[in-house]
Amino acid sequence: MAPRHNFDKQLKEIQQDILRLGSLVEQALYDSVQALISLDVAAAGQVIMKDELIDQLCLEIEEKCVWVIATQQPMAGDLRMAVAGIKIIISLERMGDHCVDISRATMCLSGGALTAHSVEYIPEMADIVQQMVKDGLDAYVTRNVEKAKAMCAMDDLVDFIYNRIFRELIACVKEHPVHAYQMAYLLYVNRYIERIADHATNIGEAVIYLVTGERRELN
Amino acid sequence: MRVWSVLEGIGWRPVASYFFMLLVFFTLLKLYAVDKITIGVMVAISLLFSAFLALVLYRRVIVPLNEVIEAARDIARGNLSRRINIISQDEIGDLAKSINDMADRLRHTIGEITAEKDRAQAMLDSMSDVVLALDRKGRIIMVNPAVETTFGIPQVDCVGRSVVEVIRNFDLDMVLQRVQATNSQLIREVAIISPEPRIFILRATPLVGNTKGGMVVLLRDISERKRMEQMRSEFMSNVSHELRTPLTSIQGFVETLQDNGTEDPQMIRHFLGIIAAETARLSNLVDDLLDLSRIEERRVVRRWQREDIGTLVDQVLTVCGSRADDKQIAIKASLQPRLPRLFGDPDLLAQVLINLVDNAIRYTSAGGTITISGLVEGDEIRIDVADNGAGIPAENIPRIFERFYRVEKARTRGMGGTGLGLAIVKHIIKGHGGRVDVKSVVGKGTVFSIFLPLEIPVTLPAAGSFYLH
Repeated sequence: MAPRHNFDKQLKEIQQDILRLGSLVEQALYDSVQALISLDVAAAGQVIMKDELIDQLCLEIEEKCVWVIATQQPMAGDLRMAVAGIKIIISLERMGDHCVDISRATMCLSGGALTAHSVEYIPEMADIVQQMVKDGLDAYVTRNVEKAKAMCAMDDLVDFIYNRIFRELIACVKEHPVHAYQMAYLLYVNRYIERIADHATNIGEAVIYLVTGERRELN
Repeated sequence: MRVWSVLEGIGWRPVASYFFMLLVFFTLLKLYAVDKITIGVMVAISLLFSAFLALVLYRRVIVPLNEVIEAARDIARGNLSRRINIISQDEIGDLAKSINDMADRLRHTIGEITAEKDRAQAMLDSMSDVVLALDRKGRIIMVNPAVETTFGIPQVDCVGRSVVEVIRNFDLDMVLQRVQATNSQLIREVAIISPEPRIFILRATPLVGNTKGGMVVLLRDISERKRMEQMRSEFMSNVSHELRTPLTSIQGFVETLQDNGTEDPQMIRHFLGIIAAETARLSNLVDDLLDLSRIEERRVVRRWQREDIGTLVDQVLTVCGSRADDKQIAIKASLQPRLPRLFGDPDLLAQVLINLVDNAIRYTSAGGTITISGLVEGDEIRIDVADNGAGIPAENIPRIFERFYRVEKARTRGMGGTGLGLAIVKHIIKGHGGRVDVKSVVGKGTVFSIFLPLEIPVTLPAAGSFYLH
């Protein structure tokens, strides 16, 4: 009984650490987009600095997952828990990196004011992606497959907005070639946010795998 | 059947005593009347006597005792309203009375404890701050309903989970871990982005006393206070800046006059002119600031009376007419015939119109037109001040009623004005229970619309602080 109890405690700890990591990534996404809109270099720098914490926490969790697999030889649901844990932290870590990329873009853009009309859409898209990340983690906590699926469906909307912003930015470049530099960075940012949404769907897939054992491609 | 159940209820001891009694009666009878009666009669008499006695015993002792036992069991099960209806003067009566007293006492005490608990629960339930109680392992053991309104998480979903599973915030989690480790209170500000970005003051206190560890966490939403603080500090820096600018100019020219002692009377006059103009600007600014602070304290609407809109418009034309003429701007008034009269303080309402027309003149180029129109819309009077001037870019519209907010900072300061006009308009109209609306197209012009209630507003904003005459 005693080793089993210990094992459950370890799994519980891993889950809570993943949520901690998730909270950091959610915050990083929010902060990086806010910093971009207000061109706040200091806030962008904060995001870049905090990414180290994300990476470190990620390594720790990975270590714990490997440790559990190696020492407890979990089966079925418990094994899926450890494997899904590794999948989720890799997605979260990549999201954190994209937030850093957005912050770097913010630093490059900080010289002048944002002129593009499409800057309005970027926060809109970021809001949706933020919600996706939140729903993904909520689905993980509650083991809610339906929520995970619904979250993955939101990716289509993100792709739609991504394409719209892409076209608008290209149109802007044609119209005002002076702003080409700025537009190029916004194109990157657009892409980063879209990639974060893709990673969020990966979390959704991991949740479905964790609960049902099925592997599904949802985006 | 019945006899058997009665016997079973009685138990072996009373039956044994019954037979013992029978024996005693039999012996007594035998001693008293040795051969006067036959054995059969003796047995019959003893049986009769003892049966009578047993019946009395059964009625007087066994039945009431059974009732007492039954009632005591019922009370023990929690039915505190159960009472025993025995009013005999013997020991059983005393016993029944004591049990009744005990039940009364229990009921009273439990009632008190329940009331106390209900009060505490009601206090927690009606708090707008989120209160969480955590056990030694950081799991939530109690949470108040504010968690539902604040974070949108159902109260029942929280219990038994750890905080990070419910409110996902790294800083919050770190603080709680520290409190757990150090066992001392911590107070921090944490920004929580979900469901909407807000700032909370977090107070985590370890539980003291005979509980096994754990802590109480209090989360208070201070976003509004933060926003107000920021607005106040912005306002202060704006005021200082606005006061600084004319002062610097005055100081510069005064110093020039002192140092150089320029002899050119024309130059001196020119300098003095500038100083006078800047002084006037400062004085205007201070007046406006005082007005605004008076209006914000809502002590402004001193005189409530009916006033004709035509009179107000005439007043506006007198004040602004010459400035409009200077810029060759025509001011037209088109009022609906037989408009009902406005209700409010005529001086303040005139100031609203003057501020709006003054603004219109300022931002309309020469040859433009300003139209003041009045009409009844539903249960409101609507007054429009429309111009065909520069217009306001859409993104600036939500902020133009802020104090010192200017659409184009560099350009518009040169146009005079203190930056407080629209803020004053907004506050006066609010004080009258009305509202202001703006529609603007860049390059086409702007329409400011004032809506004032036709009837005396029943619920004036903070009506208690108005001086009604």
